[in-house]
Amino acid sequence: MKTQTYTLNLGPQHPSTHGVFQIVLELDGETVVKATPVPGYLHRGIEKLAEARTYAQVIPYTDRMDYMAGMLMNWGYVAAVEKLMGIEVPERAEYIRVIVGELSRIASHLIATGAYAGDIGGLTGFIYTFRDREDILDMLEMISGSRMTFSYFRIGGVAEDFPAEFFPAVKKFIEKFPSCCDEYDGLITGNEIFQVRTKKVGVITPEAAINYSLSGPVLRGSGINYDMRKARPYSVYDRFDFEVPLGCNGDCFDRYRIRILEMRQSLRIVEQALEQLPEGPIMAKVPKVLKPPAGDAYAEIESSKGLFGAYVVSDGSPKPYRVHFRRPSFINLGYLGKLCEGWKIADVIAILGSIDIVLGEVDC
Amino acid sequence: MGENIFTGIASGLSGLLDGAGVPVLWNDVILMVVKLVAILVFILVNALWLVYMERKVAAYVQCRIGPNRVGPKGLLQTAADIGKLLSKEFTWNKYWDIVPYILAPVLIFVPPFMIYAVLPFGENMAAIDMNIGLFYFAAVASLTSIILWAGGWASNNKYSLVGAMRVVAQMVSYELPLVLALLGVVMLTGTLNMSEIVYAQENVWFIFTQPLAFLIYFVAGLAETNRTPFCLVEGESEIIAGPYTEYSGMGFAMFFLTEYASVMLISAMCTVAFLGGWLAPFGLTFIPSWLWFFLKMYVMIFIFMWVRWTYPRLRVDQLMGFGWKVLIPLCLANIFVTGVGMYIYRAIGW
Amino acid sequence: MFGKGLIKGLEITWGWLFRKKVTVEYPDKKIVMSPRYHGRFELDQDKCIACGLCANACPNKVIQLEKTKLGKKQILLKYVMRIEYCLFCGYCVEACNKDALKFSSVIDMNQYFRDKVRLTLVDRPAPTPEEIAAAEAEEAAKAAAAQAAAAKAKAKGEEG
Repeated sequence: MKTQTYTLNLGPQHPSTHGVFQIVLELDGETVVKATPVPGYLHRGIEKLAEARTYAQVIPYTDRMDYMAGMLMNWGYVAAVEKLMGIEVPERAEYIRVIVGELSRIASHLIATGAYAGDIGGLTGFIYTFRDREDILDMLEMISGSRMTFSYFRIGGVAEDFPAEFFPAVKKFIEKFPSCCDEYDGLITGNEIFQVRTKKVGVITPEAAINYSLSGPVLRGSGINYDMRKARPYSVYDRFDFEVPLGCNGDCFDRYRIRILEMRQSLRIVEQALEQLPEGPIMAKVPKVLKPPAGDAYAEIESSKGLFGAYVVSDGSPKPYRVHFRRPSFINLGYLGKLCEGWKIADVIAILGSIDIVLGEVDC
Repeated sequence: MGENIFTGIASGLSGLLDGAGVPVLWNDVILMVVKLVAILVFILVNALWLVYMERKVAAYVQCRIGPNRVGPKGLLQTAADIGKLLSKEFTWNKYWDIVPYILAPVLIFVPPFMIYAVLPFGENMAAIDMNIGLFYFAAVASLTSIILWAGGWASNNKYSLVGAMRVVAQMVSYELPLVLALLGVVMLTGTLNMSEIVYAQENVWFIFTQPLAFLIYFVAGLAETNRTPFCLVEGESEIIAGPYTEYSGMGFAMFFLTEYASVMLISAMCTVAFLGGWLAPFGLTFIPSWLWFFLKMYVMIFIFMWVRWTYPRLRVDQLMGFGWKVLIPLCLANIFVTGVGMYIYRAIGW
Repeated sequence: MFGKGLIKGLEITWGWLFRKKVTVEYPDKKIVMSPRYHGRFELDQDKCIACGLCANACPNKVIQLEKTKLGKKQILLKYVMRIEYCLFCGYCVEACNKDALKFSSVIDMNQYFRDKVRLTLVDRPAPTPEEIAAAEAEEAAKAAAAQAAAAKAKAKGEEG
C-alpha cells in the first residue's frame, strides 16, 4: 500500500505552543518524521530598540523578554552595564536583587510546571500553580508597583526599598509554599498517567545537551551539574546554602521535576537572604546621565530558563552602541527539531512544554 | 409518595384517550410518542444542566466559583450560551464536504436518544422494555463513532482528520472491554433485559459481585465518552478539539451537548448493570424508585467529572495498548472467573 | 503500587471541592492595590513647573507637553500621555523632582476607541495678554515684597 507523509502546521495559533510559535511537523500517521521549529512571530527588535534608548531606558524593554521572570531579565542587562562601568552595587541592593530574583524564578517555574500539566491534559494543576503564583505577584507588586513587567532594577541598585508590608507577606508565603509544592507533587508529579506520558519521552543525552549549548533545567535534567549560581557565583549567591537539583534520565519528567525541586531551593535562598538582609543604601553612586567608557562587557546570570547573558557595547555616548541578549529558551529550542523526531503529536507538546519556552524571550 | 407519578401520568393519558374513543392502536402510538418526546426533553434539559454542573465541579475543584452571573447561582448560564450559539452565523467553506459536514451534528444526537428509549428510569418506567436491551445498547452506542468520524473527515482539516482517526481507533478498541465487562453481569443474570437485570440485584448489587467488571466498565466508559484521561479525540492541548475544530455555533453545541448525553447514558447504564438500578438500598423505599435511579446516576456523573478535572491525558499508543493489552485480558479473566464461580456455586447447589 | 498516585490526586481535588474559593468577584469586589501600584497617572498642575524631565525620561516618548511663559514661571498648556505606547515603567514619576506626576491605583483605563486611550492630564487655553501682564505685575509686586522680607522668603523658598 502506498502511504505518504503529510505536513501539519502546529501553531502559530495553537494553545500549547506557549505563545506564537510554529512547528511544521512532517507526520507519518501520528508519528513525527521531521519537525521544523519556526520562531520569529513575536520579534519586536528589542536589541535594535535598545540602540535608540539611553542605558537606563533599556531596562523596561528587558522586562518584555521573559515576561514570566521579568526581574531576572532586568538583572542580566543591569549586570552587564554595571560591569562595563565598574559600578559597585551596595550590599543591601544585592540582597534585594537576590530575593526578588528568586521570587521571580519561583513564579516562572510555577508557570512552567502548571502549563506543563495543562499541556499533558490536567488543567487543574495549571489553575493551582497560578493560584499560588498570584501571591508572588502580589508581593512583587508591593515592591515594584507592577505585576509582570517590573522595571525594578536600576543600574547600580534597585528602584525602591522593600515596603514594610512586604515582610509579613513573604513570611506567610515561605510558610505556605512547601505545602503547595506537596500539592503539585501529589496532583501532577505522582500521577501515574503523567509519569507514563513524560518518563523516557524526549530524552536528551548529556553529550547532546552540552553540544547544543543547552542551559538551565533542560541541561540539569540531563544530569549535568551546571548552575551559574553555584558554578560561577555572581552577586551574593556564594553566601547561601542551597542545592542544585539534578535529573538522571534527561527525559521530560526529569526536566519537569527539577523545576519543582528548584522552587523549593529558591524558597530556601529567599529565606536565608531575608535573614541576612543588611541595612544600607540601595543605590550606588551613579551619575544622572550614564556615559560608560567605550568598550564592551558581557554578563551572565542564571535565569529561570537557563543562562541569560547580556552583551553591551559602548561608544562612550549615553546610548548603547549595540546590545545583544543571549536568550536561554531560544538556544534551548535549537534541539527541539531533533528531539521531536520519532515521537507522536502529543509528545511534541510534552517535549515543547518541558523545554519551557517563553516566546517573548525566544523572538526577543 | 411520588412513586407512581410517571406511570400514573401514562396510564391516565391512556385512559383519557380510551375514553375519547381513540382506537387501541392509535392510543399506543400517541402514548409512545409522548413518552419519547418526554425523554428527548429530559435529555436536552439534562445535558444543559450537566454542562453547568461540569463547569461548577471544575470550578470548585480548581478553587474558583464558576458561572454565577446569569440567573440564580448562574443556573441559566448554559441556556444563555446556547442562545448565543444559536444566533451564530453559519460559515461556509468550499473545502468542506458539505453533506456529511452538516449531517454529522444533526445525527450525533440520535444514538444516545435511541438508547434512552430502552433505559428503565424506574420501576416500569422504560419507554420500551426491550428483552435484548443490553445488546441493543452495545450495538447502538458504537454508531457514535461513525458520525464523529464523518464530521471530522468532512471538515477537511488535518487536526480534524487526526481526531477522526482517533475516534475510530478509540471507540472500536474500548467498545470491546465495555461489552465484555457487561457480559459478566449478563452471565450472572442470564438475561439481556435491563429491567430483569435490575430485579436480579435485589439481594446484592453487581458492583459487589463483579467489582472488576465495574472498574473495567468505568474505565471503558470514560474512553467511550471521550472523557479525560481518554479525551484524545478532543485533546484540547494537542489536536484542539479534533473533529469539532471546524464547527462553530450550534454545530459545535450539538457535539458538546451529546458528550454530556453520552456521559449520562454511560452512567445510567452503569446504574442499571452494577448499582442496582432503581432499587433502594437499606430498604429506604419511601424515596421513589426513579429518584434513586437519578441519584445513583448523578453520583456516577460526578465521579466522571471529578476524574476529568484531576487526571492528565494518555497518549494515543498508550491508550490503545492499555485497551488491548490490559483491559481486554482482564475482561476475559473476569468472564472466566465468573464462569468458574457460577459453576462452583451451582455444583454446591446454591 | 500502581494507582496510588491516581488516588492521591483524587484526594487533593476532593479536598479543594469544599474549601474556600480564591476568586474575587471583580466588579462587585475590588482588590486593593498596593500603594506603589502603577495605575493611571495623576498630575498636580500647581506643583508642575513644566520642566519636561518626565518627557525626557520616557523610553517611548509617550509624554507630549506644551508650555508657555507666564511671567517668569513656566506653565503647562497641554500635557498628553499617549498611553497606548506607555510601558508603565515609572521612569517619568521617578524623574519628577517636584512630586507633581504620580501613579494612582486606578486600573481601568481601557477604552472602546484607540484615540480615546490618550490621557490628557492638562489642557488649558493659552494665557491672554492681560493675564500675562497681571502675572508680571504680581511678580514685580512680589519681588518688592520679597526684598522687604528677604530672610523669611529665603527660608520659605528652601522649604518649597
